[in-house]
Amino acid sequence: MSQRIYITGIGMISAIGNNVSESFLSLSQSKTGIGKINYLTTRYKDEFLVGEVKLSNADLMDLVKDNSPDLNRNSYLAMLAAKEAVINSGIDTKDGLRTGVISSTTVAGMSKTEMFYKEMFEKDDHLNVLDTHDCGDSTERIADYIGNVDYVTTISTACSSAANAVMLGSRMIKNGLLDRAIVGGVDALSKFTFNGFNTLMILDKEWCKPFDENRKGLNLGEGAAFLVIEGEDALRKRNGKALAEVIGYANANDAYHQTASSPEGYGATLAITQALEMCGLTTRDIDYINMHGTGTPNNDLSESIATKTVFGNHIPKFSSTKAFTGHTLAAAASIEAVISTLSLQHQLIFPNLNFTTPIAETNLVPVTELLQTPINTILSNSFGFGGNCSSLIFKKI
Amino acid sequence: MVKAYINGTGCISAQNTIDESWFFETVAPPSVDYYNAIEPSYKEYIAPNLLRRMGRAIKMGVTTASIAIKNAGVTNVDAIITGTGLGCFEDSERFLLALLNNDEQFLTPTSFIQSTHNTVGSQIALIMKCHNYNFTYVHRGFSFESCLQDAMMLFNEGKESILIGGIEEHTPNYVNLYRRAKKFQEQNTAVPYWKSETSGTQMGEGAAFFVLNKHQTEKSVACVEGIQTLYKPKTTEDILDKLTAFLKMYSLTLADIDVTLMGFSLDVNFDKKLQELLPTIEKESCPAYFKHLSGEYHTASAFALWLATQLIEKQNLPKAISISQKAPTAIKHVLIINQYLGINYSFMLVAKV
Repeated sequence: MSQRIYITGIGMISAIGNNVSESFLSLSQSKTGIGKINYLTTRYKDEFLVGEVKLSNADLMDLVKDNSPDLNRNSYLAMLAAKEAVINSGIDTKDGLRTGVISSTTVAGMSKTEMFYKEMFEKDDHLNVLDTHDCGDSTERIADYIGNVDYVTTISTACSSAANAVMLGSRMIKNGLLDRAIVGGVDALSKFTFNGFNTLMILDKEWCKPFDENRKGLNLGEGAAFLVIEGEDALRKRNGKALAEVIGYANANDAYHQTASSPEGYGATLAITQALEMCGLTTRDIDYINMHGTGTPNNDLSESIATKTVFGNHIPKFSSTKAFTGHTLAAAASIEAVISTLSLQHQLIFPNLNFTTPIAETNLVPVTELLQTPINTILSNSFGFGGNCSSLIFKKI
Repeated sequence: MVKAYINGTGCISAQNTIDESWFFETVAPPSVDYYNAIEPSYKEYIAPNLLRRMGRAIKMGVTTASIAIKNAGVTNVDAIITGTGLGCFEDSERFLLALLNNDEQFLTPTSFIQSTHNTVGSQIALIMKCHNYNFTYVHRGFSFESCLQDAMMLFNEGKESILIGGIEEHTPNYVNLYRRAKKFQEQNTAVPYWKSETSGTQMGEGAAFFVLNKHQTEKSVACVEGIQTLYKPKTTEDILDKLTAFLKMYSLTLADIDVTLMGFSLDVNFDKKLQELLPTIEKESCPAYFKHLSGEYHTASAFALWLATQLIEKQNLPKAISISQKAPTAIKHVLIINQYLGINYSFMLVAKV
């Protein structure tokens, strides 16, 4: 029953571009998408930097070509990235094979709810915003936008969400429940999340500096990324082309604290180790790690320690790409899965921007310049609030 | 085919199900047009230092999880999988109103931290010190169904013991807004619940948790044989075709189903297809309904699975949920056909062990 799982299409929208080719250009030119706040309404507009998609809601509406008043920023982003992935893969959802949409989000429709919530108590005009507030809404929008979708579900495990979507899609295909799945995640910036992270005091007011001794926190980002994954049977049937293979995944829980990672990175260690075990790889087989690397003092130290625990003295080349996109929460793992796919396709490691000094305790140095190098396998980590830790392993075709 | 043996359950609902001996001795009506859960004194279940910070969804979830775990006689599980449509709404709303009312100033992080949808699952992991697989599904009327389906896949992949649960809470503001959005209605008592001709549901809330095992043990009270979700089926015939194919996978037909629990929600727009399906069900099986006990919410199907387990254990189909005059001679198979907003349909097949 154990079918191989292939990535056959990728789509992405974030601060570094509205599609995969724009994103690739930014990544190759070490051009960050993080900057001053332009679209989010907040009193902290001039105080913080974020990774916004460089489009207004009106621009996004034009791109999706749907002027339904029920769509919100989360749905626009999700629909665009999912559609790009489907077109890129060349699948036809009308061909009778079973297609699933497995998405993930943390704040869902909050970016719209927060605009109208107070008003709702006084007037009836915006009560329908409640209908699109929940996490399932954007997933069903994707399904209907693509059409002929047999299965939908949505995951929310904080910042590891989209990794779990990739994992679930792969498992459903292996278990014979689906032939292929459109998997990924989306989170639009909202005042809600921005202020939430601000009260936790883990936002850097300057560009975030993952794995740097003087890192101060993360920059929030927004975006969506989706991957079409197919079982080998479905791929063979339509004579499709694979971009990369999903060979390993694991999900574990740190069970240490609601928001903080354990000092030793126990959950992360478990996730990485189990993902390696699943595909029968040793630590020497990993050519590059796309780290979670948010830029917070807690995550980067904990992840560094976990990396040392697993890899010992043979630490693979690694970088965090969050200094390009910002931390896009539920979308982060799928954005990084798309970036990993690009790394495998182009044999390029995209740099860890803004790094100067290694963390004293661990002394790990990421890749800081664009690097052309042979890459066969990539480990991608994603960790979240609630101790949710997930690791994925991708392989070159 | 792999089965999921139900080895322990815990349920908080609009009925007095927190009293584990409850079986229809009392049936609580809605509070006009919605239901409040009957909640226990939580300090019997949760340590006071934790309890102080928890929102209601977390309290209901952690409590019912701990009851299910106690009943199953386990100390740890291979996976914790939770489902919730709206998550910790109380905490989300608290943080949202605080930031809107104070122009984004003077905020504290507690309610933000607890607003994330995976809070219940992670709190259970923290309390149990469980480092294993941990997942939260948040898809409307598929939130709980996805948990069950994932658990069955995990059994297929070699796991042994899994905790799953569905959780939903509402708040006074939420009730107020939904009522003003005309999503609620009072029942017209002259019209049976399953024949409703008017729109509006009666919102409910609650939590139900289950410890599932891959193998039958002396604790097993029933087993789940299958689960399937249907997204936006076009016609009633579509549902019936899918149902027939679903039952066929287990070598069953509708005639083998002793009780069919149907997710009528009192809103004619959402119930239409189930109303059309009812005569077929009635011909072959004993139809029953349950949302007049639980109210309607994203994870009401978790309550339905808890109820199915009860019916099998007690071998009794109470009048309070029966749709027809028929009574089953024995209850071997219970089928749950749920719907949410007329969009998310699901089948769950539960069997006696």
